[in-house]
Amino acid sequence: MNASYLRYAGRRLVQAVVVVLLAYVFTFVVISVLPGDPVTNTLRNPENGFTEEEIARIVSYYGLDQPIAVQLWQSLSHFLVGDLGVSLRSNLPVTRLVAEVVPSTLALAASALAVALVLAFAIAYGTQNLPRRYGQGVLRAFPSLFLSVPAFVVGLLLIQVFAFQLGLFSVIEPDSAWATFFAAVALGIPVSAQVAEVLITGLDHESRQEYAAVARSRGLGQARLFAKHLLKPSSLPVVTVVALTVGELLGGALIIETIFGRTGIGSLVQRSVSTQDLPVLQAVVSLAAVVFVVVNLLADLVYPLLDPRVRTEPASASGKAGLGEAPEQPILERQVSVP
Amino acid sequence: MTVTATAPAAGVVAPASSALLCVEGLSVAYGRTEVVSDVSFSLERGESLALIGESGSGKSTIARSVLRLLPDGGAARGRVEFEGRDVLALPERQFRPLRGRALGFVPQDPGSSLNAVRTIGAQAQEAAALTGERDAGVRQQLILDTFAQVGLDDPRRAYDSYPHQLSGGMLQRVLIGLAVLPRPALLVADEPTSALDVTIQKRILDLLSELRADLGIGLLLITHDLAIAAERADSLVVLRDGAVQEAGPTATVFAAPSSAYARELQADVPALNPDRYRALREGRSPSAPAVARSVDLAVAGGAGLAVARDVDSVAVRDLDPVAVRSVDPADPAATAPVSPPVAASEDAPDATPKIELRGVTKSFTVEGRRLTALDGVSFAIERGTTHALVGESGSGKTTAVRLLLGLDQADDGEILVAGEPVHGRSAAGLRAVRRHLQLVYQNPFTSLDPTWRVEQLVREPLDRFRIGGRAVRAGRVREALAAVGLAEHLLSRRPAALSGGQRQRVAIARALVLRPDVLVLDEPTSALDVTVQADIVEVLVRLQAELGLTYVFVSHDLALVRQLADTVSVLHRGRVVEAGPVERIFADPERDYTRRLLESIPRPGVPDAVAS
Repeated sequence: MNASYLRYAGRRLVQAVVVVLLAYVFTFVVISVLPGDPVTNTLRNPENGFTEEEIARIVSYYGLDQPIAVQLWQSLSHFLVGDLGVSLRSNLPVTRLVAEVVPSTLALAASALAVALVLAFAIAYGTQNLPRRYGQGVLRAFPSLFLSVPAFVVGLLLIQVFAFQLGLFSVIEPDSAWATFFAAVALGIPVSAQVAEVLITGLDHESRQEYAAVARSRGLGQARLFAKHLLKPSSLPVVTVVALTVGELLGGALIIETIFGRTGIGSLVQRSVSTQDLPVLQAVVSLAAVVFVVVNLLADLVYPLLDPRVRTEPASASGKAGLGEAPEQPILERQVSVP
Repeated sequence: MTVTATAPAAGVVAPASSALLCVEGLSVAYGRTEVVSDVSFSLERGESLALIGESGSGKSTIARSVLRLLPDGGAARGRVEFEGRDVLALPERQFRPLRGRALGFVPQDPGSSLNAVRTIGAQAQEAAALTGERDAGVRQQLILDTFAQVGLDDPRRAYDSYPHQLSGGMLQRVLIGLAVLPRPALLVADEPTSALDVTIQKRILDLLSELRADLGIGLLLITHDLAIAAERADSLVVLRDGAVQEAGPTATVFAAPSSAYARELQADVPALNPDRYRALREGRSPSAPAVARSVDLAVAGGAGLAVARDVDSVAVRDLDPVAVRSVDPADPAATAPVSPPVAASEDAPDATPKIELRGVTKSFTVEGRRLTALDGVSFAIERGTTHALVGESGSGKTTAVRLLLGLDQADDGEILVAGEPVHGRSAAGLRAVRRHLQLVYQNPFTSLDPTWRVEQLVREPLDRFRIGGRAVRAGRVREALAAVGLAEHLLSRRPAALSGGQRQRVAIARALVLRPDVLVLDEPTSALDVTVQADIVEVLVRLQAELGLTYVFVSHDLALVRQLADTVSVLHRGRVVEAGPVERIFADPERDYTRRLLESIPRPGVPDAVAS
């Protein structure tokens, strides 16, 4: 861990914080300019029977009579200290509502990711190390098979077989370990397909590289070649793919939660949308942004550790390497008739 | 199939049982395409044998068959006996223990032959593990000792580095170190020096010779460079299209090549033929480019590549029969200094140098350190002449060229083109300068966009500079193509459907299409085979004679520089250590550095192998 890596990490962290703040402001503005102010709608609903004074008092209590810039500033400053406001429906702090459902969704998404990675690496290992006659072709067909079956079909199938026929878990206890596991399998399978696809392509590519032949000439067998040489460079694009599939995991989680009857962010979002509970929605969107940014930050931080060639210094005027006999740098990457 | 080495008369073959490596009737095919046909040779312990041939001759395929590293789809037939065992017939489980321990491999391209995401130490440990040494500390010491032995200045740093942190020369030494570390009986070296500077090339070849002598390693050397083979190998096998053309002891093959192909190869190697291009160059007349252009169109317009080349050769013979004779490598006259070919340019009426650098300085900041790439570099190039920039990697050649092309800005000093300063011009002014300064890039296999057709590739500069209408551009494209001797039916081809020589001709046509005054040639032939190289050099020489072009020639092939350039600047660590007319510098270098560079040119005829 050298100084240049730490500086790199610091820069990435600052960028991540800026992205989260921008996402928050953007959501706030979008919600504000959308027609139909839900607070006023609710208050002015005759069924609720508020008087004009009460309405004015409530509006002023929430700060809704302030100019939008002031509202944004207040909202943002509260957000920065972790105060996400109060739900319009239940009068409970939004942080509490979100905190109630996050662990369940997080457990589901994390185990789904684990399932996806284990599956993908197992398939990829098989395609490289099994004798060609057996298995390889079948294994190579798995990713496209996985991708073509929707998660909810797999989910229903798993419930049918493992809950109803084998009785491995009960559908009325959706948070039990087995239930979570099978929900994670349903959610993880399509994700594993993408990871496996990228990994297999990477491994095929790497095993054709000259260094792989040279390593074989040093007496390395297939298994050691795979573990020591091919896996690491092939994993580089996997990091990117995993970071991108996090959105898919969150989105898919909402569907799987419904199928398996779990309470999670999915049910919270569904309720808040139908009741226009803006502070909760704002919180969930911000949370999603934070998760996304954090995952991509992790990917950025992992990359230089996997690949030493990734520059951790900001690009300088010229990319001249500096050791001893500096490698000759091509005058032009592609011959252009310098305009 | 013409000649094989199996004939005892060739003197290479001893009884199969005692030979270290004995290849008999080896054929290799990919699908139905046979790339190696019925090749036989054998190699004794402690001897060296060179497989010579151009790309596509099957020499690397033979090496890979011996090592059983053929890519998927390659099938080898015949016998490859190593220490009496047929390696082609061995099951993988019995062959694997031989890998590394008994059969060492030095690959061709140092840049891609080490895993980029692992440290060199980690990969060296794999080789060290083959020695059976169990103590990790001893293994590491063994690695560091080997690194020192192969000439790495700082073994510890190499051990801790990742491949991208070392230069090509250092990586090649690492790879040789990894191959020799387990003390194999046979070392297969596939073009071990083709990516290296001459001085490093010499060190590496010396090292391989030493290892051969000290450890009794048999060396199978694969090379396209006849000069190297002549200097370093005990015996030769000349290959073409997968078949043996000629084989025998080096001295015999060189003294009296019996096959036409071997003779042609020999005639095309600059180091063996110091006078090869002299006649052509003496035909230069910078004052009459316009006439020459039209003549050129008439000559090359309807002619294909082969025809154009024949025309050149005929012209050469007419001018000076000495230039094309097959030079005896032992003939002292062949290496004697050539008489000055520059006279024409020195009498040129325009006294202003075409290009002039005055005290140009440029430095870069890398990882916090200040690195001076160029330090007060000055040189001037007369119109219509060729100026060579020579020096090892990192000497500043590339930086000088980048500054000249306006790709980077100098920190200090002046760059003048035709007496006008380049520095401080407006963007439009720079464009005008660049239009007259064009670059021919080193590697035609990567410098042309594979998805474009020849016509587009050559026309692009015209589009960029918005020159003429469609008809004018089409005419200029045809004219440029004709000038480099490419037939018009190639216009619709894509680079993949062209040979290396044709691609480089396209690259030259692309540079010519703007009718520049100056061509910057960045190692224009180093990626090409010898015969193709000769072909491109002829094109360049002819174009200079006909169009009065000024060349800035960057090269590490000093044998070629000697023949092509009028003046030369020797760069070392960003400074010009010596400059002047080529014949003076080459005949009588004043500086040690220059002398060292010159001594690194392979000198067949001198070495022990042939001396007997």
